[in-house]
Amino acid sequence: MTADIEIRNVNKHFGAMSVLEDLSLSIKAREFIVFLGPSGCGKSTLLRMIAGLETVDSGEIAINRERIDHLPPGKRGIAMVFQSYALYPHMTVRDNMAFGLENIGMSREVIDARINEAARILEMPHLLERKPGQLSGGQRQRVAIGRAIVKEPKAFLFDEPLSNLDAALRTRTRLELAQLHQRLQSTMIFVTHDQVEAMTLADRIVVMNNRRIEQIGSPMEIYERPATKFVAGFVGAPAMNFIDATLDRSSGNATARFSDGISVRTAISSDLLADDKYSFGIRSEDVRIVPPGQGNADGVVDVLERLGERTLIYIRLGDGQQIVGSDVGNSRVAVGHKVGLAFDGQKSHLFSAAGRAWHAREA
Amino acid sequence: MSAPAISIKGRAFGDRVLLALVILLSIAMIAPVLWVIGLSLKDNAELMADPNSVFRLPYTLRNYFNTIGTSSVFLWVLNSIIVSGGLTLGTLVLSSLAGYGFARLNFPGKNILFVIVLFGLAVPEQAVLVARHQIFSILKFHNTYHGLILPGLSASFGVFLMTQYFKAIPKELDEAAMLDNASRFRTFWKVLLPLTVPAQATLGIFTFLGAWNDYLWPLISATRKDMYTLTVGMASTQTNFAQSEGIGFLMAQAVFAGAPILIVYLFFQKYIVTAVSGAAVR
Repeated sequence: MTADIEIRNVNKHFGAMSVLEDLSLSIKAREFIVFLGPSGCGKSTLLRMIAGLETVDSGEIAINRERIDHLPPGKRGIAMVFQSYALYPHMTVRDNMAFGLENIGMSREVIDARINEAARILEMPHLLERKPGQLSGGQRQRVAIGRAIVKEPKAFLFDEPLSNLDAALRTRTRLELAQLHQRLQSTMIFVTHDQVEAMTLADRIVVMNNRRIEQIGSPMEIYERPATKFVAGFVGAPAMNFIDATLDRSSGNATARFSDGISVRTAISSDLLADDKYSFGIRSEDVRIVPPGQGNADGVVDVLERLGERTLIYIRLGDGQQIVGSDVGNSRVAVGHKVGLAFDGQKSHLFSAAGRAWHAREA
Repeated sequence: MSAPAISIKGRAFGDRVLLALVILLSIAMIAPVLWVIGLSLKDNAELMADPNSVFRLPYTLRNYFNTIGTSSVFLWVLNSIIVSGGLTLGTLVLSSLAGYGFARLNFPGKNILFVIVLFGLAVPEQAVLVARHQIFSILKFHNTYHGLILPGLSASFGVFLMTQYFKAIPKELDEAAMLDNASRFRTFWKVLLPLTVPAQATLGIFTFLGAWNDYLWPLISATRKDMYTLTVGMASTQTNFAQSEGIGFLMAQAVFAGAPILIVYLFFQKYIVTAVSGAAVR
């Protein structure tokens, strides 16, 4: 069973504080959608409104074209995995999974069959008679997912379910979630503030900030063509480099000039740009390290971060600004070295004072 | 290298001192109990002539047979069990429901009502005794079981304890149950209430022991001998010592009287230790 979910002009207040403002979103059936944003942006509230755990002040939420925002959580045909897993501590894993099915009066045979199938999918038949306190974090997480699976819901909701796991387990569970989505072909909504989870799991990412949606798009769209300066800064590690620039729009494509005389020719059409002052943005992998004098600018290496397959190099420019560039894993560069920086103008971005983004034309 | 050795030696000495203190304390606690048992096994006339005869043979079970045959102690024990048991059960039910309500429901005046409930902690029983006596008199509640049970059901401490305990249970469990299509009562009954067992045990033990040892209200409310609780009954026998069969007989009654509470203790030892150490509330 799967579902498309339609959210129309939804508003939410907690007292005088507005949490979501006029938010609309369409989620297609079988889609894996990730709500990504910083703490307090409203992403968890939106998820809880879909689940029915928060009321909708105004607007509508529909599943398969049927309004559900007035229904109690148990009647919406959805299942949710909580950040804390919220397993019933006094019940065995089997009872945890059976509880929801017993409440709708399902027969014992069907309940057992569903539990056994879910346990098989999640490779945990040996855990069924244990209580949550006897399980590791990863196992509890599986049980929480199992409790959702047995309900055969129209949609799965995940509220930061990986944040309590250690790094290795998080990576493994991420992969398992992706496989589970492929296997079940259900609509899944996943809330996280971790952009790696968002990038790796999502069919589409909904980037949220300050009560609103900043951008909806595929992971690579979000990464390569961020709609706003916030998205550009929030998605990607390290964050995109931003340098204040004035524009030379005398030729077809704009040239960005920085305060210390450095200039970079972008692939962004001058016709699109009305103002003179912009923020120039470029990702670290589009800033190559070259010998001094051979790039767009020179600088001194402040810090090195060796990540194995590549090295992040933090370089201080003449005017004091810091830029992050990228070099090969076994880079010979050392702290204190003078290096050159070559900006890839084709992959640069410009952001207006209001935060709107312009990119090179798509090839 | 010598420092740890000294420290271990010091610790061993400390442990021994502690052990000696524990043994002394245990003797101080157990001696009166052994004294009571010893006296109960002696002939009354022999004890009257020489109280130190408790340390000599012969011993007899006659006091126990006399107690079984003539004393009202079993009736008083039964009354105490009914009153303490009923009060404990009632307190647990009411405190759990009230605690859940205060912790999970939103209703107008909730905070004020909670303060009023807590205010009950500050009002001593003696302050309301006369008024309560008059009300119960009008309602003809004296010399009844409900007359003995009802006053104890206004358990401010129980409501406070259960409220705090329910508040400590993560709300995600309620939400998970809501998503599992459970009604509010089923969530309370199947999900939350089982998690409060440690608090219920603490509250139940304190309530039961308090009710079992209560003297003041049963003394006022139970004026008929057949409605005496154990404390009132025992006191009435001891204050009429001259008319009793002697100290050995009284001590045999005391042994019978102490037996139920000892059994309760043995069964709930684990919970009592937890309750007294305060660990259950955390």
